[in-house]
Amino acid sequence: MERYILPDIPNFHEIDVYEQHGGYSALKKALGMNPAEVTDEVKKSNLRGRGGACFPTGLKWTFMPKDNAKPKYLCVNGDESEPGTFKDRQIFEFNPHQLIEGTLIGCYAMGITTAYIYIRGEYGKWIKMLQKAIDDAYAKGYIGQNILGSNFSTNIYLHKGAGAYICGEESSLMESLEGNRGYPRVKPPFPAQRGVWNCPTTINNVETMTNVPLIINKGWEWYSKIGAPKHPGPILVGISGHVNKPGVYEVATGELLTDLIYNYAGGVPGNKKIKAIIPGGSSTMILRGDQIEGVRMDADSLKAAGSSVGTAGMIVMDEETDLIRVISRISKFYYHESCGQCTPCREGTGWLWKILKRFETGEGRMQDIDLLVDIANNIEGNTICALGDAAAWPVQSMVRRFRDEFEKRAKRSEAAAA
Amino acid sequence: MPTVKITIDGTQIEADNKRTIIEVAREHGIKIPHFCWHPKLSVSGNCRMCLVEIEKMPKLAIACSTQVADGMVVHTKNERVVHARNAVMEFLLINHPLDCPICDEAGECKLQDYTYKYSTGYSRFDEDKVHKPKRIQLGPHVMFDAERCILCSRCVRFCDEIAGVHQLQFIQRGDHTELTTFPGEKLDNPYSMNVVDICPVGALTNADFRFKARVWEMSFTDTICQGCARGCNIEVGVRNNETLRLTPRRNDDVNGYWMCDHGRLDTFKFVNAENRIKAPMIRKDGVLVEVGWDEAIARVASELKSFKKSEVAALGSPFATNEDNHIFQRFVKEVLGTKNVDFVRHIVEGDEDNILLRSDKTPNSIGAAEVGVAPVEGGMSFDAIIEGIHEGKIKALYALEDDVAAVPGVAEVLPKLEFFAVHAANENSTTRYADVVLAAATFAEKNGTMVNFQRRVQRLRPAVTTLELDRAMDGFEMSRWDKFAAHNDKWGKGPRRDARASWKIVASIAAAMGTKFKYNSADEVFNEIAQRVESFKGLSYLKVGKKGAPLKAKAMAPVHA
Ligand SMILES: Cc1cc2nc3c(=O)[nH]c(=O)nc-3n(C[C@H](O)[C@H](O)[C@H](O)COP(=O)(O)O)c2cc1C
Ligand code: SF4
Ligand code: SF4
Ligand code: SF4
Ligand code: FES
Repeated sequence: MERYILPDIPNFHEIDVYEQHGGYSALKKALGMNPAEVTDEVKKSNLRGRGGACFPTGLKWTFMPKDNAKPKYLCVNGDESEPGTFKDRQIFEFNPHQLIEGTLIGCYAMGITTAYIYIRGEYGKWIKMLQKAIDDAYAKGYIGQNILGSNFSTNIYLHKGAGAYICGEESSLMESLEGNRGYPRVKPPFPAQRGVWNCPTTINNVETMTNVPLIINKGWEWYSKIGAPKHPGPILVGISGHVNKPGVYEVATGELLTDLIYNYAGGVPGNKKIKAIIPGGSSTMILRGDQIEGVRMDADSLKAAGSSVGTAGMIVMDEETDLIRVISRISKFYYHESCGQCTPCREGTGWLWKILKRFETGEGRMQDIDLLVDIANNIEGNTICALGDAAAWPVQSMVRRFRDEFEKRAKRSEAAAA
Repeated sequence: MPTVKITIDGTQIEADNKRTIIEVAREHGIKIPHFCWHPKLSVSGNCRMCLVEIEKMPKLAIACSTQVADGMVVHTKNERVVHARNAVMEFLLINHPLDCPICDEAGECKLQDYTYKYSTGYSRFDEDKVHKPKRIQLGPHVMFDAERCILCSRCVRFCDEIAGVHQLQFIQRGDHTELTTFPGEKLDNPYSMNVVDICPVGALTNADFRFKARVWEMSFTDTICQGCARGCNIEVGVRNNETLRLTPRRNDDVNGYWMCDHGRLDTFKFVNAENRIKAPMIRKDGVLVEVGWDEAIARVASELKSFKKSEVAALGSPFATNEDNHIFQRFVKEVLGTKNVDFVRHIVEGDEDNILLRSDKTPNSIGAAEVGVAPVEGGMSFDAIIEGIHEGKIKALYALEDDVAAVPGVAEVLPKLEFFAVHAANENSTTRYADVVLAAATFAEKNGTMVNFQRRVQRLRPAVTTLELDRAMDGFEMSRWDKFAAHNDKWGKGPRRDARASWKIVASIAAAMGTKFKYNSADEVFNEIAQRVESFKGLSYLKVGKKGAPLKAKAMAPVHA
């Protein structure tokens, strides 16, 4: 497939090269349309957010109030901190101008005059590269006052995170932007009603915004025909774990997971069998190796298989993987990253991890297995933000799909104790 | 506001749109358990204790932030909700130290109460608990135990939203999250101790009251703070006839749920203080010695009789009740017949805020004036009285409880008096000059009313007994009667002073001078005020109730076009 998000063009990150290959022409085209038409184009394209929830982007944009005296904001989410997910940084490095162009088009469509790009604080090199790209775009008049001689003006600010996964959650991101502790907000009100600085706000993922210029340039019909019809477009899949060629691959949605693993990522070292995969970043439900045949990287297919696309960060684990260690480590991550605001997640994530740690060190008990599920169930759906769910799902799915591994451990430790 | 129809636990309710489920339920007597929600603070939605089921919604929703909508059907007690609540309680308790036996909050702890009411009473947690610092002094009056904190953020929101200062914040994350003050800050705002009251657990405790008593050992009486003209509604906590603690009592018209630290700390200790006047005293050979009431009263009566009317002056008090001041002014005008009557105002200009504190540092200046403590036409005001003493025109002074000698310029002239009688509860700079000190009951020992700066009449109730109150339990609450000689609160056996309500003392002096004021109790005096004073017309103790009642507005001068 031709690549649209990470095209194979040397130095594409440089503004001149980007322009030579048609860069910023989508912005020009958009400025000639009326804003509602731009939103409509995105809506009809069926573009769905690449930040984890696959929410329809055009629909999200329509939530922004039109007759509101307050300023409106766009936050582009580049916090990218989920284990297994490392795709937005490829955009910062290789195609920052398409991100900027998409951001500008989004601002134009929603009548926004300030956009923030919130970038993961650890991304030192990419922060510099993106800032340079922004500076260059300002210098060429793509950002700032009266863009390309039109009445449309917008500023773009780059904001660095300070090392908290929770600040990728959209409402926490806004708190962080405002200089507050990264605590997610209770919803409703939703960001489009009350977001940054209490003003209407839209939050979209970096990759989502990078898709927008394609839609404007080539039209919604063209875009909607790429990949899976209900979840179309190019998608960046980050593949890590036990594969020969880990990395980020741009494919059309709907690609078979097996193709991704065996063709793109070069298969499993030593031709070992796959024991499990996590398809979309550590918060998505784990699948058994024998469940992935015929499953595709798109929202519907993965849902039917009992998991989700998430951020398309796929982790492959071969037959020798100690899944108890895997789930213990994943739980430790959510425990560490829980912001501590709401009771079930604050208390439950630590409890899960402490039990799993015992399984790891040979002190797991039979009754702990159902307890794990129960704790996870008690967190799921009862928290302020989705980090609680993200902590629960891996545990629930791991016990459901690999109960035997837990039982083996428990028996072994009970025998040792006896 | 448009109204909507909703159903909560099968009860159909009409409610204002925009209100939350928890508010509407509360107004209809349906209690939804909650930790972080507080009616006067913003909604934070963090504790998850208020989860309820709303039909047609996939997830449980928090009642504290979900607004009612037409046709909404809410369940607050069904199986799913009970299960979720049990889960929240279990989560809250896994890292809780379970300090109840040594925790000051025990007995009035939401976590403890809810554990009995809304939890399975059983924990499946078998891991090491998270440990955090204990006994941290957050500010001059508040101690903090991080292990007990359930991170509900009420205290943080109180400081931000009510006290208007950003002093508290959380640090760290997850179950290591900890409350602290901002660097270089202390929790030292003038309202800091309210966080102790709203903290649902024993994480924040009152540094002054800590370890003094278990709450179930105390009895509580509804009364009014004496610290300023706001007259915050409070509860006095007493054990063994000793006042131990003041806490605010909700009154949305006066103080909301709050009181200031000054009121809480500085306005009750004189009741138990060492320097309490425990019985009437007469100066003999230059020293005040305790005497019986009859002797003290006879002495005051005979002394006051021996002066010409114009040589006598009288000072009522903004610290005394309306009842005290009313009988006092009647006595002054009808028995002594002097025109020289006034009281001292204690205004500290600028020492007020737009929260509660008032610059008038007395609880009843409006009441004193309203019942008639003011110079009779041609009589002397306070300044003139002091000047009169200085010039030798005023030879005798009779004053209700107020430390008038502390007013600049007064102490210097008092020695010139030939006779000075004062009502006092404690030794102070004024009693040093007095010939007779009449042992006055404090606000905590008497029944009566006061008028706050909003012209609102509010009730004082006795919480501590005196010898006199033992005989006539004027105004005592039934709960205190029931506690008579109960083993946990032996108030009948604690120290009792031979002090009396000022109006009774005045009435005795009047009687000794030949005029009978016949009242059996404070409410009879009040009824007389209600008959005689226009602004009190129609009021009674019943109407004043627990939350007070406004005085009638002053008649406006007629406007001529
Ligand atoms: C704990 C947590 C962390 C998240 N981190 C990110 C992130 O790093 N980047 C991101 O784009 N979205 C993240 N999200 C999702 C955002 O809340 C939000 O849904 C997304 O940015 C919306 O963009 P989209 O509609 O373009 O997908 C996170 C969500 C949660 C609950
Ligand atoms: S679910 Fe977890 S991360 Fe989200 S608000 Fe609650 S405690 Fe914080
Ligand atoms: S100290 Fe008390 S009021 Fe403050 S957050 Fe903790 S539990 Fe809540
Ligand atoms: S504001 Fe005044 S009345 Fe209220 S507590 Fe403080 S001193 Fe007492
Ligand atoms: S009371 Fe509703 S979440 Fe705490």
